[in-house]
Amino acid sequence: MLEKLLFQGLIGLSFSMYLWLLASGLTLVFGVLGVLNFAHGSLFMLGAYATFTFYGKLGFNFWVSIGLSLISVGCVGAVLERFFIRRIYDLDLPYQLILTFGFILIFDDLVKMAWGGVAMIPPMPRFFEGNLSVFGRPFPIYNLFIIAAGFGVAIILWLILEMTWWGRMIRASASDREMASAIGINIPILFTTVFVFAAMLAALGGALGTPVRVVAPGIGTAMIIQAFVITVIGGLGNLKGAFVGALIVGILTAFGILLFPVFELFIIFVVMAVVLMVKPEGLFGK
Amino acid sequence: MAKKITRRKFLENAVIGGVALGTGLGGYRVTYGQAKKPAGPIKIGGQGAISGAHADYGWQMMAGATLAIEQINAKGGILGRKLELKFMDEELKPATAVKNARYFVTDWGADFLFGIDSSGSAMAVGPVLTELDRLCFFCHAATHRLTEELVAGKGIKQIFRMVAPVYQDALAAWVFKDNPEIKRWAGINCDYEYGYVAWNLFKENIRKFRPDVEFVAAAWAPFWTMDFSSHISAVMAEKPDAIFATPWAGEGVMLLRQALMLGVFDKIQVWWQGMGGSVDLLEGVSREVDKFKGKLWATARYIHNYPVTPENKVFVEAFRKRWGKFPNYSAEGSYSTIYAIKTGAEKAKSLETAKVGAALEGMELKTPAGPRLIRREDHQAVYTVPAGKVVTSPDYPLPILGDLKIIPAKEYYRHPPFTPVAATK
Repeated sequence: MLEKLLFQGLIGLSFSMYLWLLASGLTLVFGVLGVLNFAHGSLFMLGAYATFTFYGKLGFNFWVSIGLSLISVGCVGAVLERFFIRRIYDLDLPYQLILTFGFILIFDDLVKMAWGGVAMIPPMPRFFEGNLSVFGRPFPIYNLFIIAAGFGVAIILWLILEMTWWGRMIRASASDREMASAIGINIPILFTTVFVFAAMLAALGGALGTPVRVVAPGIGTAMIIQAFVITVIGGLGNLKGAFVGALIVGILTAFGILLFPVFELFIIFVVMAVVLMVKPEGLFGK
Repeated sequence: MAKKITRRKFLENAVIGGVALGTGLGGYRVTYGQAKKPAGPIKIGGQGAISGAHADYGWQMMAGATLAIEQINAKGGILGRKLELKFMDEELKPATAVKNARYFVTDWGADFLFGIDSSGSAMAVGPVLTELDRLCFFCHAATHRLTEELVAGKGIKQIFRMVAPVYQDALAAWVFKDNPEIKRWAGINCDYEYGYVAWNLFKENIRKFRPDVEFVAAAWAPFWTMDFSSHISAVMAEKPDAIFATPWAGEGVMLLRQALMLGVFDKIQVWWQGMGGSVDLLEGVSREVDKFKGKLWATARYIHNYPVTPENKVFVEAFRKRWGKFPNYSAEGSYSTIYAIKTGAEKAKSLETAKVGAALEGMELKTPAGPRLIRREDHQAVYTVPAGKVVTSPDYPLPILGDLKIIPAKEYYRHPPFTPVAATK
């Protein structure tokens, strides 16, 4: 039984890492820009489509495809922030939700026009094929890579925010936008940069999922609900919270499927409800 | 001096003139309508999922119907009138489907309705049809309750279902009943009605043949599941001999890719994929057919390489020529629907709902999928669908189903009077 649980936990951990990549950008944008970006899932979807096109269709190297995908989605993010999101910083939350929700619909239809409605999947890169024996059962090499990538991104984000000048500027503007502006931080440029960075994180999540998941219109929406649950559990705007929230959601989901298959879906929402009752600002929220 | 017309005055006059003109035209239309009903086109309103991850199913439905309508119109239409198609998105949402059905009939003036992918939408539209008084031909929604409860039970005669319902997923029971080595079955099923009923019907049927089988694990995946690893890992922990799976469309493709990664095909003897014979799924797994080691079995509500008849060949070729793709079961279902409307209306010599409905009852139609009998009691089309192994063939650019097992429909279909099947986990 213990081996079953440990194996299922490892499967859950790899699932957590996809969730973390998506939730990290979502929470970063909320923490710094104060915008709840519903369309974050669409950027994840665009990252997946771009990688699928470069790698699966045009036959580029897998890593180059991911790089090109990040650049492409980063550009989309820049346009989105500069020409649309920027106009609603001072407006109420409902305006943000309407605008960003509108973008979900637009992006879903745009990808359908460009790539069609059929779900597609590229081949698995050869060096990731196969599995290793873990607790006597085959565990995919790709899942190990995803776990490493998720932790890698977490460490890099932590280093950037804690150790670099840019990270300090971000933290300063997140805690007090006016004061940060007064000491000479160029807020509009910083906001665009953060938004682009978050868009690239979403794209990375989408890109890394491409060999194991299909690209299809609507895949962003499928993921964004779980990302919201994670940020609510962890605390909106808190990166550490998003990481822990992703671990909780991913691993509990996997255990739920193994142990309580009949009401597994329910478990995550119970956790969210309990967190909201006991600590409404989230586990790491202030 | 000429009187100067101000802009305000001009606008006022324009508005009054416009209203007068509109009223006049309206009046004319009413008079004309009373005198003689215009013999315009026969309007056919279709709806399916044309957005989101399942969008290809709605598209296929629209493509199949369009092809049939173009063919029929080229030969003069039905009862001398051309056909006109309008297709809307049901978004897999019951409320949207009902709204569309009402719009089609009351605003657009549809003579017939067809389509609908989601079982939930179908169960919502069904009861509204008596009030709208139009026939609706369901081309995908598969819950047995649509025909068993609403037609045979409640007598809603406006419902017809042209495609095989969930009955056909239970074919696995017939295909593997004589394999004593396959004893431990696990299920990875959709966490909604289709998955519940397919799994329950399969269990009920295989128990009849094989009281010794065990159902060792079941995992449930809702719409939009992107990661099935936890589901696969959970059922594989119980070391099953065979897996019965129902996630369809892109979800089926992901499920199979992730199962390969987890080495499932090294451990099990058979993987049964309901709806796996649909073109989009076959396309999705096309590069990996060898990796399934001949263990992947599938079925669908129609498979383009069966039956080998002139009707099917002509249909597949016409569809490929028109759309550059192979038809899936939604396309064949909607294509056959339009021809069923033609046959029914021509037999009844009328477009009236009750007359066309009565004409179709008990009729056997020649369709690409083979002869379809419209069963009188529940308005369910009865026709045989094969199951087979997913294989590659030099004759087709995509994998097909080979090693076909043809079980006559009357064996695996349920028959009236119906006993309830649990639509729960």
